[in-house]
Amino acid sequence: MKRYAYYLSCINESMTKEVDRSIDLWQNDLGIEMVKLHESTCCGGSNLDYVSPKHFALVNGRNIALAEKLGLDLVVSCNTCLMTIRTAKKKLDESPDLKKEVNDLLKKEGLEYKGTSNVRHLLWVLAEDVGFEAIRQKVRVPLNKYRIAPFYGCHILRPSTVLGKDDPLDPSSLDKLIEALGGTSLPYEHKNRCCGFHTLLVAEEESLNVAAEALEEAIQIKADFIVTPCPLCHTVLDGYQAKALKQAHIQSSIPVFHLSEMVGLALGYTDKQLGIKRHIVS
Amino acid sequence: MTGVTELHKEEKRDITLRVFRFNPQVDSKPYFDDYTIQTEKGITVLRSLNYIKEHVDASVSFRAFCQAGICGSCGMRINGISKLACTTQVWDELEKAREPGVIKIEPLRNMPLIKDLIVDMDPLVDKMKHYSNWVESRMPEHDMGKKEFLVSEEEFLKYDKATDCILCASCVSECTILRAHKEYVSPAVLLKSYRMNVDSRDAIHDVRLGELVKDHGVWDCTHCYRCQETCVKHIPIMDAIHGIREDALEVRGARDTSGAKHAEAFMEDIEKKGKLVEATLPIRTNGIAWTLQNLLPMAMKMIMKRRTPPPPPLVKPAKGMKKFRELFREMTEHVKAEQKSHKK
Amino acid sequence: MKPFDIVIVGGGGAGLYAAMEAMKTNPSLNIAVLSKVYPNRSHTSAAQGGANAALANKAKDDTVELHIFDTIKGSDYLADQDAVEILCSEAPKIIRELDNIGTPWSRLDDNTIAQRPFGGAGRPRCCYCADKTGHTILQTLYEQCLKKGVFFFNEYFALNLSVNGSRMKGLVAMNIKTGKVEAFPARTVILATGGYAKMYWNRSSNAAGNTGDGQAIAYRAGIPLKDMEFVQFHPTGLRKSGLLVTEGARGEGGYLINKDGERFMSRYAPEKMELGPRDLVSRSLETEILQGRGFDSPAGKYIHLDLTHLGADLIKSRLPQIREMSMYFEGVDPIEEPIPVRPTAHYSMGGIDTDNFGRTVMDGVYSAGESACVSVHGANRLGGNSLLDILVFGRIAGRAAAEEARKFEPSQITEQEVRDTEALLRSYMQPSGHFERYGALREELGQTLANNVGIYREASKIHKGIAEIHDLRERFRHVRVFDTSDVYNTNLLQVLELKNMLDLAETVAAGALAREESRGSHTRTDFPVRDDEKWHKHTLATLDGDSVRLGEKPVIMGRYELQERTY
Repeated sequence: MKRYAYYLSCINESMTKEVDRSIDLWQNDLGIEMVKLHESTCCGGSNLDYVSPKHFALVNGRNIALAEKLGLDLVVSCNTCLMTIRTAKKKLDESPDLKKEVNDLLKKEGLEYKGTSNVRHLLWVLAEDVGFEAIRQKVRVPLNKYRIAPFYGCHILRPSTVLGKDDPLDPSSLDKLIEALGGTSLPYEHKNRCCGFHTLLVAEEESLNVAAEALEEAIQIKADFIVTPCPLCHTVLDGYQAKALKQAHIQSSIPVFHLSEMVGLALGYTDKQLGIKRHIVS
Repeated sequence: MTGVTELHKEEKRDITLRVFRFNPQVDSKPYFDDYTIQTEKGITVLRSLNYIKEHVDASVSFRAFCQAGICGSCGMRINGISKLACTTQVWDELEKAREPGVIKIEPLRNMPLIKDLIVDMDPLVDKMKHYSNWVESRMPEHDMGKKEFLVSEEEFLKYDKATDCILCASCVSECTILRAHKEYVSPAVLLKSYRMNVDSRDAIHDVRLGELVKDHGVWDCTHCYRCQETCVKHIPIMDAIHGIREDALEVRGARDTSGAKHAEAFMEDIEKKGKLVEATLPIRTNGIAWTLQNLLPMAMKMIMKRRTPPPPPLVKPAKGMKKFRELFREMTEHVKAEQKSHKK
Repeated sequence: MKPFDIVIVGGGGAGLYAAMEAMKTNPSLNIAVLSKVYPNRSHTSAAQGGANAALANKAKDDTVELHIFDTIKGSDYLADQDAVEILCSEAPKIIRELDNIGTPWSRLDDNTIAQRPFGGAGRPRCCYCADKTGHTILQTLYEQCLKKGVFFFNEYFALNLSVNGSRMKGLVAMNIKTGKVEAFPARTVILATGGYAKMYWNRSSNAAGNTGDGQAIAYRAGIPLKDMEFVQFHPTGLRKSGLLVTEGARGEGGYLINKDGERFMSRYAPEKMELGPRDLVSRSLETEILQGRGFDSPAGKYIHLDLTHLGADLIKSRLPQIREMSMYFEGVDPIEEPIPVRPTAHYSMGGIDTDNFGRTVMDGVYSAGESACVSVHGANRLGGNSLLDILVFGRIAGRAAAEEARKFEPSQITEQEVRDTEALLRSYMQPSGHFERYGALREELGQTLANNVGIYREASKIHKGIAEIHDLRERFRHVRVFDTSDVYNTNLLQVLELKNMLDLAETVAAGALAREESRGSHTRTDFPVRDDEKWHKHTLATLDGDSVRLGEKPVIMGRYELQERTY
């Protein structure tokens, strides 16, 4: 059983509880264990970085230090949290002064940021540690009747200087996971594009246009569902789907699954167990 | 000897360029033409297009000028990604081709199409004008040319990368928000605006910033990083966008926008609870009236599906918040002290 | 149409400075800038190295006087000394003015504008912004013109001056986006269209559009061209493409190495070594190659430009563009290995004959920048003086035109002239009698020029070149524009550019044949020494019927007597 420190993303604590719920269900099946970091705090989204760079470094240095205390890698299942925490890690690793300032404060909580724990997405753990072949062998209900549109989202890919796993404009790991689970991964132009989440509250019309385009293509290529490794993308593509498609005058709909739910389905868990009923679009 | 022959064979290949065609005078809609030519290793996409124009079909239309990656004329989408044809190797693109041996060539997006691979740059120029993408000199007219400004290397480095921009419009073509709304300022113009705003020789920082924080301005960027990732000059465009935002939060007056409020709400929540209070974020960003009108129907649906805790928000604070809050506030003191010493 | 006070053709450094200065001189004037590309695309952007000015920021003992001397000596004493004095004394002002309006400059420790050594200069006086100086100057000028509200006609191709006898009425140009020919009646026209070195085609570092449009327009209108035989070959073009590796690479300390591993410049310029003037360094490279000491490759013989000893940090911070280009176009990372180079046609010293105010012999017609020949570069231009030339004389021409515009009475260009021009353009599209492909003609023109009117010249070769150019002009009569559309017809554009190059190629070859001496960039193997008695003078090429008539013009001397030029 390989152990990881698991970061609790705000959105998975409120809007998309089904993500952590489904990981809880199947983690042991794949020989991994997620140790939840209940003391971790919000990463600051993609905003704290410029609102206050220092707080940004402190908050995320602390989040990583919590994992380092356990001697484990930090695993994240939200793209933006991933990008944000990795950005902070990069800054801390590149600036001894900043690292010292943060550590002087962390000392008071008995923590230290050393830079020893890696920060990784759940998808990367599945691809690199568990391995597609091992996953293939664990599948109980192959997804072979499904045509699936993989929607990666931005912050698992870009900026490549911070993420650097998949090709930032032509990724493939999620496609490979779909194939390992027995599904058909469709060529999907929007796979590397944006969902519009981060401007939803600031420029709603624009955000919904962005989402509508991604949804429209998935409908056009006759996908059975979209799958995404990011709960923020899910929130837009599922939660705001009706509004987006209405704005774009499209009369159709398409279900959107979390990566963790798709894995759960293939491993034999039910809709109900996985919390898929919580989705807006069924 | 066969080895050598094979090597030579590998150095030359038949490739197909699938080129987007549209002549507004005769075509009702765009179509693609396939051109199959022999190319050798080391040949750029632009040289292949030139060959086609000179030897196969003279009507294929595209812009090209310096052919050395500095004038920015030959921006186009190659296998779906915006880049310069003159600095793109055919061999590299073959590896990315979806259909073996076929390279797809299309015009840049997000700008009006003129013909084939040529798009209209005027909207971009208009935006450069709208956002005052120039230095309004602090030097009085009568002193012009008489003395230099003293500029530190440190300041020069702030805008050094930004002045690499050749306005090829690759970032414009790749921009998520511009595609969703053509009024959006666009990455290249944000970059130039940032470059002007950090230049101590400029006198209209506040005017420019005032425009940038309005609708369709800096807060509308969705952080998708496509601009930065496709920039042919590898300019960290998002740093410039974040730079403008940071600036906007510091300057009084510019912070009273929904984007700035949205950004600051994160700070507030982390300090209080360690967690983001998603349910009240819309109200704090846009006010109660906007939220009721725009989000209430969806919120009801979400509550029915038990997706979000019903208001008032019951977000469980992170564990050990008391100590964390102390650290957080201490950092606030650090920042304040630093700002004070800066002002001096 | 209401006549313009000033129509500026070309949106590079000279054209934009002229526009800016003209608006400043008289804001009430009606000014237009026509450019066949968006101004920010102009070839000024490719000037990497920098602009000379005796600011004395780096070398405290530098003076305008030293700059003047270096320029005159560099020109092989063919520059007009009064013009050089204007160039060099205006230089500090123009660099400071650019700084004042926002041009980014690299900086010295004392926060003043940085300067570096450049070929042929006795002091480090070349002001630069990394290796993107021209690019950043062009951006700044374009930004300032947008700020001032200059009226741009972007993507317009200038066709002809409309002339009635000796009186200029304005300009006829094609709107590239619509294909329509339009008249621009004007009191004054400033031709600022850049150089003509692209006629050497693949053996040239120039942009595809540096086809001498302005010079050809002036020539066809009967305005003389000056010193056309002087074409500068830059020593370090990339082997495969001819694209340029800036002199900045040698300024920062790069070595030129032959296949025997020698820094061979010690043979030709023992003191200045790699920083000798361009003509000398180019000839040295060519000699090394001709004498069998070059490297061999399928893409031709070449020499190594070695930067590896400069270290990754310096290369990345000071020469990033060079590194990028070497990787894109040669597959070579200069941090790791030497760059393969050979001489490439780079700059045209010759151009439209003007006085020190940019005026030509025709009332109301001005020229500035590389399209003009004032002359400040004489037989050879110093590195860092070309940006300076376009800025200084662009500004002067802008001011002169603004002050003089009202002296010239406006008149109209007739509808008939516009229709006739349009018909002429359409005629290239007629299938009968038109079958030649422009691509082949262009390629052959470049080859014949490089082989017969290149770095080393001699009478028999030049004769051959002239015959071949003549033949190409005959074949051009049958050239066919296959694209018959109006909107953005790049096929037609390239044919029109080829016509301009063919017209000018004759003047280059004629000048080269006549000038029986070796001076600056012009090297006759059959007349290997400078002949001041016979040839210390400018040549003038004027269109006479269908062929070139050569004339001459004295060189304006001043403080500096003729001397032998050694480095």
